[in-house]
Amino acid sequence: MRRAFVVLLWLICGLLVAAPWLCARHQLSILTELLIFGLLALSLDLIMGYTGMVSFGHAAYFGLGAYAGALTLLTWQLPIPLALASGAVCAAAIAWPIGYLSTRRTGIYFAMLTLAFAQLLYTIAYKWRSLTGGSDGITGVPKSALWWAGPSLGTPRAYYFLVLVTVAVALLACWALVRSPFGRAVVAIRENERKFAALGRDPARFKLIVFVIAAGFAGLAGALFAPFRGFASPELMFWVLSGQALMMVIVGGIGTLVGPVVGAMVFILVQEILSSYTEHWMIFTGGIFVLMVIFLPGGIVGTARRWLELERPG
Amino acid sequence: MSSSILVEQLFDAAALAALLFLVSVGLSLVFGILRVVNFAHGIFYMLGAYVGSTLVRLTGSFWLTLILAPPIVGLIGAALESSTLRFIYRRPPIYQLLLTFGLAMILEESVRVLYGVTARSVDPPVFFQGTVELAGAVYPRYRLFLIAAGSAVGLALWLFLTRTRAGLLVRAVAQNSEMVGCLGGDVRRVRTAVFGLACALAAFGGACAAPMTTAYLGMGINVIVDAFVVVVVGGLGSIVGSMVGSLIVGAAQTWGGFYVSEAAMAIMYAVMAAILLFRPWGLFGEEE
Repeated sequence: MRRAFVVLLWLICGLLVAAPWLCARHQLSILTELLIFGLLALSLDLIMGYTGMVSFGHAAYFGLGAYAGALTLLTWQLPIPLALASGAVCAAAIAWPIGYLSTRRTGIYFAMLTLAFAQLLYTIAYKWRSLTGGSDGITGVPKSALWWAGPSLGTPRAYYFLVLVTVAVALLACWALVRSPFGRAVVAIRENERKFAALGRDPARFKLIVFVIAAGFAGLAGALFAPFRGFASPELMFWVLSGQALMMVIVGGIGTLVGPVVGAMVFILVQEILSSYTEHWMIFTGGIFVLMVIFLPGGIVGTARRWLELERPG
Repeated sequence: MSSSILVEQLFDAAALAALLFLVSVGLSLVFGILRVVNFAHGIFYMLGAYVGSTLVRLTGSFWLTLILAPPIVGLIGAALESSTLRFIYRRPPIYQLLLTFGLAMILEESVRVLYGVTARSVDPPVFFQGTVELAGAVYPRYRLFLIAAGSAVGLALWLFLTRTRAGLLVRAVAQNSEMVGCLGGDVRRVRTAVFGLACALAAFGGACAAPMTTAYLGMGINVIVDAFVVVVVGGLGSIVGSMVGSLIVGAAQTWGGFYVSEAAMAIMYAVMAAILLFRPWGLFGEEE
């Protein structure tokens, strides 16, 4: 059973690499988009799955990354990797004070605070016309080269590979992070915060660091998104996108890292299919989400894992 | 600042606080009884405004609307609680939050389908149109009505919880629901009823707000964010807390908005940040 799982994993990797030659242009664009949102969901899972805190305003950092990346590309015409870095750093820097205040409260309060701060950032993006372009956002964000006078990322295929590599590296980095002593400590806080504090360590610092790292990855996803679609707008920071990111995590499986990427894939495909029938797809995705929360709390990957473990002998 | 402007601001703050109180007190009540923070709570406020706009057109009477809209929305809320939330009380609180988030998305989109994207205006009753002279300031009558309505509901709720048998049962469930169950009380019914009551209160707030703000998409999320700030400042699960929190947030928004309209939000968040730094459990909340 486990061997079959490994084979499946390699097969998916192979398909992802071969995709540009297998897919039509439109399909490749959907695939790029779902990888970007997969990264967003992955970063949210880092907070939700491993610290047990639910952020209801994660899209704010995605949007911050998109704005930072877009402005870097438009004003200085820098290569894309620098725009990605500026997106991640900018989101993490703004997440620091917000995280400092929000992690002072736990559970329900944390969720409320992250939403409130996200709406604050959304309002700022909406009102600060001279920097963000207000409700129109920033348009015409170019896909610049990989480095100065280097190969262009202008073709869909080249950009797809940039996204694929970035997301793969991010996934591996998160995977290494949660298996490091630091990651173990964070899980220990999730399981029993009092005991952790009684052992003489400060849980607040660990939570804050995870929050900032997760915001950084969300910013990275945003910075990938801006040149891909050519714009950054306040909608990217709106609570609806935060909610969709939460759905991706739940659909895929909390605390599995790969799950949220799968969840993003399923979510965007379902949305793509539903939106060709009705413009009010949010009702249906909302309904599916409610049913999943009630009946399938482990998500797709979480539930699949449980089955595999049940089937394993001994 | 002349005294007439000061009076005007005080009343503006109180009128805003009255609306915030109607929403946040329900949020607080539901948390006290169900241990759930209802993310869809603002949507019920919005539903109140939209249902109210329809009722005003159908019945032609604003007063009849104020009587009819809250029970209608309250029933919708109670139906949603007993068909979804009821099944997952035993799970970690994250799942209940997520579920209400899903409900919020469904309801918001449903309102968009039913009413479209244009805002709907509601005329206040003739008696409350126009202005009144108050301590040298000319003041809109309708806002005075808002202050009166908010205070009246607060008082009624307090009397209900402290002076009636049903209120006693609600307080008992808040304190120890298992014990109430052992003594033969129907905890499930209390939960559904309280959820419905909270939704009705929010709807009453929305119906009251509609003549001032119109009924528009997005009013739900706007009000829930403000209500979250209120309960963070005042502390969840306390009626006095949500009253004081509403007054503080109302004052911060009015006073900040007077000088620079963008400052309204900034000052509100500054107050909240100060509370988080020096008294993280809120003014009237219990220390964790």
